[in-house]
Amino acid sequence: MEITVKVKRCNPQGNADCKPSWQSYDIKAEVGMSVLEVLLDVIAGVDPSLVCRRSCRSAICGSCAMKINGRPLLACDTQIIEEYEKAGRIELEPLDNHRVIKDLAVFQEPPWDEFDKIIPYLNEKDKDVAMTAEDEHAIDASQKCIMCGSCNSVCNALEMEKNYLGPAALAKAWRFVGDVREGKKEKRLDRLSQEHGIWDCVRCVHCTEYCPKDVAPLSAIERLRDKAMAYGIDDNHGAKHSTAMVDSIRRVGRLDEAAMTFKTLGLLRSIGMIPFGMKMEMHGKMPHPVVLPAIDGIDEVRKIMDKREEEKKKEELD
Amino acid sequence: MSLKFAYYPGCASKEITRESSDTTLKVAPLLDIELKEMPKANCCGAGLLKDYDYKLHLAMNARIFAEAEGMGLDIMTICSTCLMVMSTANSELKNDEKLLAETNELLGEAGLTYKGTIDIKHFLWVVMKEVGAEKLKGLVKRPLKGIRLASFYGCHTLRPSSVLGFDDPLNPTSMEEITAALGAESVDYDGRTKCCGFQADLVTEEVALAMTAKRLLSAKDSGAHSVVTPCPFCHINLDSYQSKAERVAGRKIDIPVLHFTQALGIALGLSSKDMGLDRHMVPLQDLLDSI
Ligand code: SF4
Ligand code: SF4
Ligand code: FES
Repeated sequence: MEITVKVKRCNPQGNADCKPSWQSYDIKAEVGMSVLEVLLDVIAGVDPSLVCRRSCRSAICGSCAMKINGRPLLACDTQIIEEYEKAGRIELEPLDNHRVIKDLAVFQEPPWDEFDKIIPYLNEKDKDVAMTAEDEHAIDASQKCIMCGSCNSVCNALEMEKNYLGPAALAKAWRFVGDVREGKKEKRLDRLSQEHGIWDCVRCVHCTEYCPKDVAPLSAIERLRDKAMAYGIDDNHGAKHSTAMVDSIRRVGRLDEAAMTFKTLGLLRSIGMIPFGMKMEMHGKMPHPVVLPAIDGIDEVRKIMDKREEEKKKEELD
Repeated sequence: MSLKFAYYPGCASKEITRESSDTTLKVAPLLDIELKEMPKANCCGAGLLKDYDYKLHLAMNARIFAEAEGMGLDIMTICSTCLMVMSTANSELKNDEKLLAETNELLGEAGLTYKGTIDIKHFLWVVMKEVGAEKLKGLVKRPLKGIRLASFYGCHTLRPSSVLGFDDPLNPTSMEEITAALGAESVDYDGRTKCCGFQADLVTEEVALAMTAKRLLSAKDSGAHSVVTPCPFCHINLDSYQSKAERVAGRKIDIPVLHFTQALGIALGLSSKDMGLDRHMVPLQDLLDSI
């Protein structure tokens, strides 16, 4: 089948603002060919100046991730004819949120530098701990990560805040924090709760959506937050925000925005919001905490919450 | 045959964006949709409860589902975050007997059980799949002619698609199809399927506002007359916080933001008062005058 492959090309040579341009290659694709195979053919036979990354060619090294028709995918794991028939075009671009080396190859330092920051090895406990199948299941997904950077490339938080650790590294962090054999969980969680750690995530679900290995980084981040709070590491806006939500549900069964603002930001910053609040008030947009009535059956809510708090006390933190 | 649902507007749409729920309650009968209130329903936790404690998050969500199950109805919501939070919790409970049993043990404390029989739908899906664009077209009284809309989907309307699965997370079309049926044009723009930043408003406010500004500017620069969104939380950032976002952007943005429900309402002939249009922070008058 004859297909025109369009590649977004750019050769920054250290220069940050390089203007990319599109180049088309007319190729002959055979059934069974991956996008990567086609690219390697082009490089070998047509245009040796074209650059892409690859190593394993079998979807395990994470090197060949790129945007294929707007979506981050592994080029070696994407059938070109299938993709063409689905989208009616083949457009290749380098991953977003990464610095381009040339054409389709990007620097992989983020996320690799971030992997270093989360200390990617086990700190063993003093005593031996046997791992059950269930224990393993808790970190199963995060062990499947091949460090391709796709999740980071679509992360909305990372798009705006370059210092955020990002979903790839945090999924890896859960792989250790969630491991029953790990000896320094609290210390890890303490570090992860600091600025630009677990609380920078805006829960956009893009990472989980586009990860080619079903790692579900967002679930890992949610587990890390849950664990950090269980350890009492809650002196930050993120944890205060979640705790305020729980208090609000216990009190009235629903979201009490005014009280949540106050509890998350504290008195001083809440006062700073008053002028804006008055503007909202003019449009009837300020919630009134004093008159917010509880839902029917609020007792049920409290009973369930009490029971769960009791259970939690019995659950050991290791 | 009329459609019938247990109605879960979500906390935002009961208070801060109640204009969206008010509009839904007026639009639904016009579409032959019957909505039954859920007086007992608690907050789904918006994901924050999951951060605090996963099992409590499941139990509180299951309490909502149990009420709908008791009514013998599926849930319809107009909040995308509620949709995502409830649907993922529901799918986990339905696919894991042990988790369901553990959750029911907690519910048992309040004399409740959830059997795992209900589904959760967004109003957008119901309009798209169960009412249908064709029927909708026939009901339009005031076509949105000449209006260019920038559909802002909201992350939780589309993702994770493995659970929600209603529209393509990368190239969704439902909003454009519905608004086309109402007579409007659509623009394509960069922020269409990206995040409004809401969940960071109280945590990393500057990041949230920069995100809001970026999405709004890309809508504005695409030539849209208005944004339209199916998510109340997106609406809070895009409309209520637009003036704050302008400060971060260092530039006036000034683009009105409709709730999805209001786009329906306008076209189906509801009055501005019915839809609480005066509650918006960015005025809508020019837009309405041009219809
Ligand atoms: S979590 Fe998934 S998308 Fe992210 S680096 Fe690992 S394999 Fe790639
Ligand atoms: S859910 Fe969080 S970590 Fe994942 S892509 Fe969105 S902001 Fe990034
Ligand atoms: S080349 Fe290794 S994952 Fe594609």
